[in-house]
Amino acid sequence: MDKALEHQFVTNLEKDQNIVHKICRIYTNDQASHNDLFQEITIQLWKAYPKFRGDSKFSTWMYRVALNTAITLYRKKKRGIQTQDYDTVHFRIKAEEYNDETEQQLTLLYNAVKELNDIDKALVFLYLEDKNYREISETLGISEVNARVKMNRVKTKLRNILNP
Amino acid sequence: MDELEFLKKDWKKQDANYPKLSYAQIYNMIWKKSSSIVKWIFIISVLELLISTFLSILFTGDDYWIQLEKYNLKNITEVLFVIGYAITVFFIFKFYRNYKKISATDDATTLMKNILKTRRTVKYYIAYVLIYNGLTAIVVFSYMIYFHLNSQDQTLTKYSLDTLDWIKFIGIGLIVLTMFLGLIWLFYRLLYGILLKKLHKNYKELKKLEM
Repeated sequence: MDKALEHQFVTNLEKDQNIVHKICRIYTNDQASHNDLFQEITIQLWKAYPKFRGDSKFSTWMYRVALNTAITLYRKKKRGIQTQDYDTVHFRIKAEEYNDETEQQLTLLYNAVKELNDIDKALVFLYLEDKNYREISETLGISEVNARVKMNRVKTKLRNILNP
Repeated sequence: MDELEFLKKDWKKQDANYPKLSYAQIYNMIWKKSSSIVKWIFIISVLELLISTFLSILFTGDDYWIQLEKYNLKNITEVLFVIGYAITVFFIFKFYRNYKKISATDDATTLMKNILKTRRTVKYYIAYVLIYNGLTAIVVFSYMIYFHLNSQDQTLTKYSLDTLDWIKFIGIGLIVLTMFLGLIWLFYRLLYGILLKKLHKNYKELKKLEM
């Protein structure tokens, strides 16, 4: 593949890398796995890049490939030593304006999301990224009705995790 | 407030807190080796196709043909052979076509479906090889018994067997066959268990409630 394509791809990904980082945050529990998944997503994006026609935005196209990698293609590496869970370290940075109670609730919520299955995580992620139900259904390959029903169930699940 | 709405507010605030990789770091990454399951599935599938084809050739060496000639089975076996190879070529072609269809740019369901389809092709091929060779073995074996019983050859009738011997003979044959098939089945369960457990689970989860 030619240099121009490489340059174009890396520039685009550098600009939109947050999308990949966010997916890694949701799907992995430690920094080493985060880096692994980030790398695999980058490889898959690059491999699929020649198929990127430019008829959609680069970021929109990224969601699909990156989520597919996290859900289906990525194979977790076996690790001997468990590195520290970054939920508690730097999964999210505390915001100054929150009071203790809000802060605690948010921590609980983030932890609850971590307990969801791969598909539910994808639904939550797309929702948090402001995707509408049509986009969610297209990314996951399910009907819009199904996407709505699943999202409602995720909400119930989260509520149940928070208030057992 | 809705839990997810509450979360979304904070989620957006987090945008500045993610690591920032440089151009060079990302550039280096694109040349790294992938460790995706599709790569593993491809390697394992090609190995399976090669091994099963190799085994069918191995089982049918010179001795096999000499034996067949002796029992006047050569013509029919030749026909079966041609058909067998045609089927093998068909499976390899189908496998390749399915494999090529796997694309990370598809939606999640389609991607999973295509991976499962590729695996299924290989699974069917293995089943076909086992059934085909099993049936051939049974047919040839029966024919040999028949031939043996009807033989006027003195050197052969010397080894004539009584009913009990036959039962033992067939019994042992069945046990060996069952063990052999059991081992292959176990190997498959393991292979699938390791490689496709997550995929199967997620696929089921996606298809849930889908009409």
